[in-house]
Amino acid sequence: MRLLTHNMLSCNIKGVTNGFPLKLEADKWVTKEVDLNADFLRGIFPKIEWSALLAAARVLGFAELPEQADASMLSSDDFLRRFHHALLELHVEEGALVCPETGRKFPINKGIPNMLLHEDEV
Amino acid sequence: MSNSQSPDSSVPVKQKKKRNKTLHSSGLPIPIPMSTLLHSYTPPSVSLRLRPRRSRYLRPLRFQFGRMGNSMVRAQAATEVTEAATSEGLKKGIAEFYDESSGVWESVWGDHMHHGFYEPDTAASLSDHRPAQIRMIEEALSFAGVSDDPMKKPKTIVDVGCGIGGSSRYLAKKYGAQCRGITLSPIQAQRAQELAAAEGLADKVSFQVADALQQPFPDGEFDLVWSMESGEHMPDKMKFVSELARVAAPGATIIIVTWCHRDLSPSEDSLKPDEIALLNKICDAYYLPAWCSASDYVNIAKSLSLENIKTADWSDNVAPFWPAVIRSAFTWQGFTSLLRSGWKTIRGALVMPLMIEGYKKNLIKFAVITCTKPN
Repeated sequence: MRLLTHNMLSCNIKGVTNGFPLKLEADKWVTKEVDLNADFLRGIFPKIEWSALLAAARVLGFAELPEQADASMLSSDDFLRRFHHALLELHVEEGALVCPETGRKFPINKGIPNMLLHEDEV
Repeated sequence: MSNSQSPDSSVPVKQKKKRNKTLHSSGLPIPIPMSTLLHSYTPPSVSLRLRPRRSRYLRPLRFQFGRMGNSMVRAQAATEVTEAATSEGLKKGIAEFYDESSGVWESVWGDHMHHGFYEPDTAASLSDHRPAQIRMIEEALSFAGVSDDPMKKPKTIVDVGCGIGGSSRYLAKKYGAQCRGITLSPIQAQRAQELAAAEGLADKVSFQVADALQQPFPDGEFDLVWSMESGEHMPDKMKFVSELARVAAPGATIIIVTWCHRDLSPSEDSLKPDEIALLNKICDAYYLPAWCSASDYVNIAKSLSLENIKTADWSDNVAPFWPAVIRSAFTWQGFTSLLRSGWKTIRGALVMPLMIEGYKKNLIKFAVITCTKPN
C-alpha cells in the first residue's frame, strides 16, 4: 500500500464522524523506485491531505517532508523528489490502519488493506 | 464449509425429468456425460443456502415511486431480519466463490470478468471475445459521455467490484488516472495487484479488500465511479447506489453495467412464478442476493437527486457471450480447470445454460445505467 492510497482511505464504521486519516502501523515496508512525473505530482497535490501524508511518512522513517506545504513548493525539484518518494515509493507490505476514533485496526497483508467491516460495525 | 464436493455414489441422486440428453434447450450440443450431470446430479449437501427461497421475491426491489401495494411493504418488513442475518453469509459466499473461481476464469478468458459487447445477431469466434470485452468498456464510457479531453477526463477512478482489476488497469491506462479497485475477494485483490505490477501500473492502480456497501473512501473522492457487472451481488441496491453517489465528486460520472430482470409492466406486482424459480436457481450458484430491474436503478438514482440519468438495454449485444463461455468450459483447458477448481465454480458453470434461457425469455436483461453527481 502506497501512501497515496493511504491518503484516500477512511474508516466507515457506523457512527464514526472522524474516520480520516487512518493511523498507520507498519511492520514491514519496502521502497520501490518509480519514475518521477512532475505533472502528475503537481496535479495530485491539491487532493493530498498533507498532515496525513506527513504523519504516515514519519511512521516509515521518512522525516524529510516539510511540516506544511503549499503549491509554490511544487516548482522546487528538491521538494518534488521528497513528495514523490513519500507518496509513491514507500510501500507498506504488512501492518495495519487504525481508526482515529474507535481504534479499530484494519490489517494490511501483502500490501493490500482489508477494509471489510464486521456485522456490528455496519 | 468445504469448497469442493464430489458426487458420492452412496447418496441417492435425484432423477429430474430427462430432457433431450444431447441437446440442451438453449440449442447447444452437450456431450452426454455433461448432460447427465446437468440433469441428474444433486450435491450431497447444499453448501450455502442464503435465505428461504420464498422470501427472496417477497422483498420488493421496486421502490415506492408511484404505485406499490401495502402488502409489498409488509412483506419487506418481514424479510428484513432474514436478510440481515445472512448478509455476512452472502459476503463470505461471494468472496469464496471468487477466491475459488477467478483463476479458472483468468486462464480461459483473461483479466476481464465481464460480458463482451457484440453486434446483434452475430456469431462470435474465440478471438472476438477479448476485443468485445474491451468494446464493452468503451461503449459504457461513450454512453455515459466521459470525456477524453485532457482538462475534463477523469483523474481519479473507483472500480467497485473490480475482479482481478481488468477495468481498473484499462481505465488507468486510458486516462492516465489513479484508480482504486475494491473487491470482497482477497485472492482477486492480490492477483489484481500482481497484474498491475507486471504491466507497470503499480503506481497508478491499487486494490483493497472492501465492501461496496461500505466503501472505505471519504465523500466526493472520485471523478469516475465504475461498477462493471458487480451490481448483481449487492443485497441492498439503494445502499449500493448511495455509496456510489457518496464517493463521487461533484460533477463526477457514475456508470453501472449490470444484469437485471425485465421491467415489470404497470399491472404487475412481481415477476411470474416460473420466472422467479429460474432466477432463484441462478442466484444460488452465483451468490446473487436478488434481482431488480433497470427501472429500479433509475428510480433509485432519481431519489438520490443524481442527474443526467440514462439507461439502455444491451441484451442483444451480449447474446453471444454465454454460449461462448459454455463452449470454453468444454475445451480441454476449460474442462480440466473446472475440475480442479472446486464445487462452487463447477456449480456456476452448470448454471450457465440457465442464463441463456433467461435471456431468451426476455427475463434477464443486460443493462447500462449512467448518471452524474450534481455540481
